[in-house]
Amino acid sequence: MRTAASPRTHRQKEIRRHLLLYAGMTPFLFIAVFPIYWMLITAFKQEPDLYRMGNIPFWFNLPPTLKNFNTLFYQTNYGSWIINTLTISAWVALITLLTAVPAGYALARLKLPGAENIGIGIFMTYLVPGIILFLPLSRVVATLGLQDSWWALVVVYPTFTIPFCTWLMMGFFKTVPMEMEEAARVDGCGQLSALIRIVLPVSLPGVLTSIIFAFTLSMQDFLYGLAFVSPGDQKPVPVGVPTELIRGDVFFWGSIMAAALLVGLPVAILYNFFLDRFIQGITGGVGK
Amino acid sequence: MTSSLPSGGPDAASARAAAVSLGARPRSRGWFHSQSTRRLAFGYMLLAPAALYVLLLVGVPFLFSLYLAVSDANVGEPVARFVGLDNFRAAWEMDTFWIALRNSVVFLVVAAIFKSILGTGLAFLLLQSFKGKKLVRGLVVIPFTLPISVSVLSWKWMYDSQFSVINWALSRVGLIGTYGSESWPIWLGQPHLALLACIGVNVWRSFPFSAIVLLAGFTSVPTEVLDAARVDGCTFFQRFRHIVTPMIFPILIIGFLFDTVFTLSDLSVVYLLTAGGPGNATQILPVLAYQIGIQAGSLGRGAAIALMLVPLLFPALFLMLRNLKRRDW
Repeated sequence: MRTAASPRTHRQKEIRRHLLLYAGMTPFLFIAVFPIYWMLITAFKQEPDLYRMGNIPFWFNLPPTLKNFNTLFYQTNYGSWIINTLTISAWVALITLLTAVPAGYALARLKLPGAENIGIGIFMTYLVPGIILFLPLSRVVATLGLQDSWWALVVVYPTFTIPFCTWLMMGFFKTVPMEMEEAARVDGCGQLSALIRIVLPVSLPGVLTSIIFAFTLSMQDFLYGLAFVSPGDQKPVPVGVPTELIRGDVFFWGSIMAAALLVGLPVAILYNFFLDRFIQGITGGVGK
Repeated sequence: MTSSLPSGGPDAASARAAAVSLGARPRSRGWFHSQSTRRLAFGYMLLAPAALYVLLLVGVPFLFSLYLAVSDANVGEPVARFVGLDNFRAAWEMDTFWIALRNSVVFLVVAAIFKSILGTGLAFLLLQSFKGKKLVRGLVVIPFTLPISVSVLSWKWMYDSQFSVINWALSRVGLIGTYGSESWPIWLGQPHLALLACIGVNVWRSFPFSAIVLLAGFTSVPTEVLDAARVDGCTFFQRFRHIVTPMIFPILIIGFLFDTVFTLSDLSVVYLLTAGGPGNATQILPVLAYQIGIQAGSLGRGAAIALMLVPLLFPALFLMLRNLKRRDW
């Protein structure tokens, strides 16, 4: 008798549990997503539609338009900002890879004396906030003759991507079984060729993750870009949009939101996929 | 003799190698020695680029900022004079500095309270299994993954003095009057509201982070341990209090400190929303350091103000260091 009744009550219980959970999630989802929805709809609204308080603002009262995107590409430096952002990130990713991957390998695999402390030391520099470093760095940038060019950011962004990615790679290389490398060494591979031919291919996911973080962490910066790069056509997107699209008291909200989303959303989605790795990275890889 | 060694142990490979190269015994010590120095040289060579980069562009600038703070360096004049603690004294005598310090602390504490509450709630929900969890999780963490300057703009638009969508909704529901009336809040224009509005954006951005960190902690507790405790007759709260909390504590501390460093040193939210205004109602140390150091060009004074964050950050960094040292290698 119990076995006959239990599937139904179990099902009902499951449904009720789901309803409760969804009800609990709704406020969180609303808080998290509404500002993004609001950007999205603003980006496609016609200018007058933004300022009619009589209508319900959550949907289009006038037909949607692409005019805001047009303005962005034809009347502002937005195109250059995108190119700047991509070029900066690519350079930063390259510098990060060339430094962080070997360093992570050395710290994780070569039993260097003091490796643990050096690793922690490098990671701790990730936590020295930009707000303490940006004034002295502005001098460094000026000395290098890079002020007012996006090259300044190529030099400065690795100060936070290298520590983070070294730490990440260190954790990653520890998971590669030592025997593989030893086998290669026994077979006569040199240290370097064992690294390049055996360890690196296995660690490709880790290397890719590092590239993604070099990109996404560069995109999260605002301070350095604001402080070091002032010409309008040299800025990366996260700095250009808030500083150049607002003229005095005039806000072109439609274009601002279009500009913000067009770059922000892909970055957010990319970052989303790697968020767990990020959390693992900073919590020291405790929860596998 | 060799055959009696347990095969498969960690030393099996080297033991076998030793057995094979038995003939080369007399030379083996020297060979090993040079091998290990070569390994060390190779290791430090691989380590050098990253270590040098970080040393030159984080370590040296940090020391340089100490030097700036005791000099009268300006953006215009490259030659600076040593002025002792004048910059700190000047900050000390500046009302704005104390307002900024107070606001920074208020900002940190109030934001942390809300982030913990929202983060814990969300973490418990995400701990359950339900249909569509992946999608829900992906959507809920967007605030954290969106570049910060981008999302602050969305909030600036929502806090608009006249066309604020928040006010529109509140007004429709009847909680506030119409535009122009006394009860119409001007989020970024009224001193107390403005600070609250800035805190709100920080909370919005970081509560998913708190939740995910907590979640990582919860899922790191082995279920066997919990099951064992259940068998021994522990109640849910006992299990939570005596097993889960101590086990996830290291992760929690690190997440908490990480967020503290970020919140204390972030300038973008306040700078883009209010630039410290109205009056100095939302002035915080990072914004003040930027305004004095870059906009007014007084590098020395700006550096002194930025360094005032160090005593606030130091306990956080110290605790973090202790926790990382205990990391499971």
